[in-house]
Amino acid sequence: MHFLDTEKQTRRAFLRRSGQLALTGTALPFALNLAAMGEAAAFDANDYKALVCVFMYGGNDYANTVVAYDDASYNKYSTIRGGGAGQTAGGIALSKADLTATLLNPTVALPGGRQYALHPAMSAMANLFNTGKAAVQLNVGPLVVPLTKTQYNSADRTNYPLPPKLFSHNDQQSIWQSSSPEGSTVGWGGNLGDLAMSGNATSTFTCINVTGNAVFLSGDSALSYQVSTSGAVAINSVKSNVYGSSAVRAAMTSLIQQPRTHVLENEYNRVTARAIGAETQITSALAGVNLATTFPAGNLSDQLKLVARLIAARNTLGNKRQVFLVSIGGFDLHDNLIAQQPGLLNGVSGAMAAFYNATVEMGVASNVTAFTASDFGRTLQSNGDGSDHGWGGHHFVVGGAVNGQAFYGTAPEVSVGSTASASDQGHVGQGRLLPTTSVDQYAATLATWFGVADSEIASILPNLRHFGAAAGRTDYPTNMGFMT
Amino acid sequence: MLSQPIAQLDETYFMTEILEIPVREHSEPLLVGALAGVPLLLAACGGGDMSEMPVALKNATTPVPSSAVLQGDRRKIAAISSSAPPPVPTPDALMNWAQAYFPNAFPGNQSNMQSGNLLFRYYPETGNYLGVAESTVYVLGPITGGVFVTAGRLEDFAALVSADRDAAAPANDFEAARFLLQAQFSASDAEIAAVRSKGYKSWLVEQFNAPSSVSGVAWLDARGYNLVDAVFRYYDNGYPGDYMIWNQLMTSPDAVRQRCALALSEFFVVSLVSLDFNWRSHAIAGWWDLLAANAFGNYRQLLEAVTLNPAMGYYLNTKGNRKEDVARNRVPDENYGREVMQLFSLGVHQLNLDGTEKLDANGARLESYNQNDITNLARIFTGWDIDQSQNVPTLEPVQNRTIPSTHYTRLPMVLTAGNHSTLAATFLGTTVPAGTPGVPALKIALDTLFNHSNVGPFFGKQMIQRLVTSNPSPAYVARVASAFNNNGAGVRGDLQAVFAAVLLDDEARGAAGLTQTGFGRLREPMVRLVQWGRSFGITSARGSWKLGDLSNPGSRLGQSPLRSPTVFNFFRPGYVPPSTALSASKTSAPEFQLVNESSVGGYLNYMQGVIRNGIFVNAPNQSGNGTNATNGYDIAAAYIPELALVLNPTALLERLNLLLCAGQLSAANQTLILNALNATALTVNSTDSAKRDRLAAAVLLVMASSDYLIQK
Repeated sequence: MHFLDTEKQTRRAFLRRSGQLALTGTALPFALNLAAMGEAAAFDANDYKALVCVFMYGGNDYANTVVAYDDASYNKYSTIRGGGAGQTAGGIALSKADLTATLLNPTVALPGGRQYALHPAMSAMANLFNTGKAAVQLNVGPLVVPLTKTQYNSADRTNYPLPPKLFSHNDQQSIWQSSSPEGSTVGWGGNLGDLAMSGNATSTFTCINVTGNAVFLSGDSALSYQVSTSGAVAINSVKSNVYGSSAVRAAMTSLIQQPRTHVLENEYNRVTARAIGAETQITSALAGVNLATTFPAGNLSDQLKLVARLIAARNTLGNKRQVFLVSIGGFDLHDNLIAQQPGLLNGVSGAMAAFYNATVEMGVASNVTAFTASDFGRTLQSNGDGSDHGWGGHHFVVGGAVNGQAFYGTAPEVSVGSTASASDQGHVGQGRLLPTTSVDQYAATLATWFGVADSEIASILPNLRHFGAAAGRTDYPTNMGFMT
Repeated sequence: MLSQPIAQLDETYFMTEILEIPVREHSEPLLVGALAGVPLLLAACGGGDMSEMPVALKNATTPVPSSAVLQGDRRKIAAISSSAPPPVPTPDALMNWAQAYFPNAFPGNQSNMQSGNLLFRYYPETGNYLGVAESTVYVLGPITGGVFVTAGRLEDFAALVSADRDAAAPANDFEAARFLLQAQFSASDAEIAAVRSKGYKSWLVEQFNAPSSVSGVAWLDARGYNLVDAVFRYYDNGYPGDYMIWNQLMTSPDAVRQRCALALSEFFVVSLVSLDFNWRSHAIAGWWDLLAANAFGNYRQLLEAVTLNPAMGYYLNTKGNRKEDVARNRVPDENYGREVMQLFSLGVHQLNLDGTEKLDANGARLESYNQNDITNLARIFTGWDIDQSQNVPTLEPVQNRTIPSTHYTRLPMVLTAGNHSTLAATFLGTTVPAGTPGVPALKIALDTLFNHSNVGPFFGKQMIQRLVTSNPSPAYVARVASAFNNNGAGVRGDLQAVFAAVLLDDEARGAAGLTQTGFGRLREPMVRLVQWGRSFGITSARGSWKLGDLSNPGSRLGQSPLRSPTVFNFFRPGYVPPSTALSASKTSAPEFQLVNESSVGGYLNYMQGVIRNGIFVNAPNQSGNGTNATNGYDIAAAYIPELALVLNPTALLERLNLLLCAGQLSAANQTLILNALNATALTVNSTDSAKRDRLAAAVLLVMASSDYLIQK
């Protein structure tokens, strides 16, 4: 059985990975580190907490999501993106007038008079922000060490290592989720799950994805359990007689779960066996759940609604700590950015707002935190009808435990210039943002809220040691402060 | 002299302590002594036909230099070799060949053992050894009178082993079916017989040369999907595209071509999911026809056709891509420039011939290209747009829309010179000079990609993964990559040579894969459905072929042809299933990216209905969607030979084991299934429905078994 000996396994895995990471010292920005944190810490399992990752596949265009609004910044943005005269829309620039309704009003203004508004399609998210339920993390992306543009361009990869395979979809997805490029098998969500499993009566439901397979939720011992938006899929030929035959049903039940000596055969049957075991529990637990909150139409919304229902069933399922993954695709808008991004952002905004409302209804708003992630940000510069693969981007954190109505991180200069002037140092070409907050910092902040002890973070996060006060980098804090 | 296999012994020990001969490696006395023993070898093989005696060993009876060993039979060699010399066999290939030629001396298929640099096999029935060290072939045992014999160098056997491979034929129906299920979708009785009588290679070459069947576009047109219909508006819908591809996969006679094109569609990806323009179904059909037409052509031509295909142009934004505009702060779209390198040619890391990654002095992997290469290459793909020169527009009166004709969906994109970047473009060490016109610039760029040393191993390994096994040995990859690099006649990129190398390789054909616990691959769900359909005589009674998008993992297959979620295919070649025994060893199993707690059940539930009743179709009497009195199971399997066996479950299961599993259904599971089938009594007087129940139960159980799901 896969879950045997969890405690020993996770401790051992933690030690193993810590050793590996200390040795490599290269580009492992994110996940294994958090994974190790999760495994090393001990949760106080008296309360319930859940993290929900909303992954925007394809690389979201940050510049039209959290939009520069103060005149100086907006005008630069408009010029770069081909906006019309008088701050009107044009090229891939949004009209300033259309942004007024979604202007973000932080409790503490950004320095230098900087202001941001959300895309007009994100009114629900703007409302969450302005009522203190959401925060914006500015310019976050994978980093191994803090980097300046000069260091990025330097040939010295010993002192200034880069995350591997920047700007590549599949690899950057994997790096956000797991800290390693494609082929990685352990994600930081899953390693939080490793930690959390011991507090859960049913370990299968520690890490749940309501989308396709992704490495994010896979730990050393925790594994990613997949449900459809309508719940767990029952296998008819196991549930009922097959073509009238109970013998065929019995044979089927045995056949599809049997252990095999062939590795691939065995793994396939293991998934089937797990599906059969979990389905009964999930189906019966969800049967008693009724949520009044209205979710908008849409697949992401359906996914988050199912997450809300699973959270409502947390006591039946015996869970104290859970990590969820939901996703929405279609953000790789090299073309048709203006036409297609609004629907996607509206889907994210509406679904996350409804999900927040559901957590309020269930009385767990302060126990559940949802956050966004994406492959990468995109270029600020236009390619005519869209933007290309970038690096840093802006992200949202939503929940009752969020120190909302605030920006975290540093507002990037609006620039595509390549001169030596200070204003051109924030990007690495065509407005690809050089992250000023690493995904490690972002994740560490969430993990700390989730229950990982501060005392353990420094010793088990080899990349995080390059950040924060201890590294003399108070400009890259290890806790961004967006969680209570 | 020796009764136990040697192990843990190095060659020196082997010779000095066991053979009691002084080590004078490759020295004259040893060679002479070794050759002197060869007549004994021939005598031991005396039961065979002397005229078929391998020439190398026959000639070795006289002490001639090894380079002259083959001179005795130039005529035969000339007949089987092309202008290029045959490849030097691997030690495995040599030993496999020797086993086949000298079954009396080297009986059975023994596994390799290693002792120092000596790779050898031991044959307990005869007590003989056969081994290779540093490309020299050694024989030892009763057959040589206990004398350590040097039989020649590997290269001396090249023509013989190659000729033998060319003539290889399946020893039984299971071997034939195994080959057919890798080379195409299904195995019919006639195909099994044909492969057995013609041999693998001859049969495959016949398929390479077989005519293409009805194209996807022609099928759409024949069904009226090219009409500007104000009610059904085919020009705005993707469903005809689904019907088109299922029809092609299920019914086209050129099944090997279809299977290889499907593999190509998972390397060069365009997805109906993301096509949103007029005549998207025709565009995806044109794309499919392009893959099928080029599947047995050359990679270079295929790459160019892919680059200029209008569906690809829409999908990865080459269509309408314009040169930089400094005044407007606009730069060329980089999407195709990036993905053509990352996915369609090089991959992100520099590779050795065998597919392993090149490392620098510090052990770090080397990237194949950088962002500068992408930004520069992107300039090449500017100025291209769809070709509307043959357009015959129609006014659609209800919506008052002018609809173009379908012509543009199958014409390569054309260049508008004014939109093409005139900047110099430097990428991968090549510079396209400033001002180079678009067409010659494209040629330079595609030639540069095509000639990069990564393409053979990068492309070749993925074709192996699609057709044979998820984790081919580096040597297998190297053999396929070598075939890409040179087809034997000096041609690079010959896809027939690549697919032949994939399908005829020892690793694909040999028995070793049947017993290794990691060999093979998960059959893709869409391939399972096509195999089911083709195996059991699927038809669409009214010709509707309304088999739609089966992507839903919870209720369908979780996969549908030409409907990858992204350009990264349904699964990545390096996907390692997390939290499994595979993750500990970092072993990839790409198709497992589709396997989760929803999809395992979705597949079984879907197939349970389909196997028994067929596929329910709405309004099969018309091309357009809708529902009417003709709704019903328009698409179903005939099961004619299988229904004839339904009263004999043992024979029925034997047939299913052959057709679906190539004999790979384990004995224990055969018993399990048989007992379940026998639990319900059936006689000749039973109802047709009861007979179908038993048949369907048998098919469903086999297709649910992991013996079937993992193709080995």
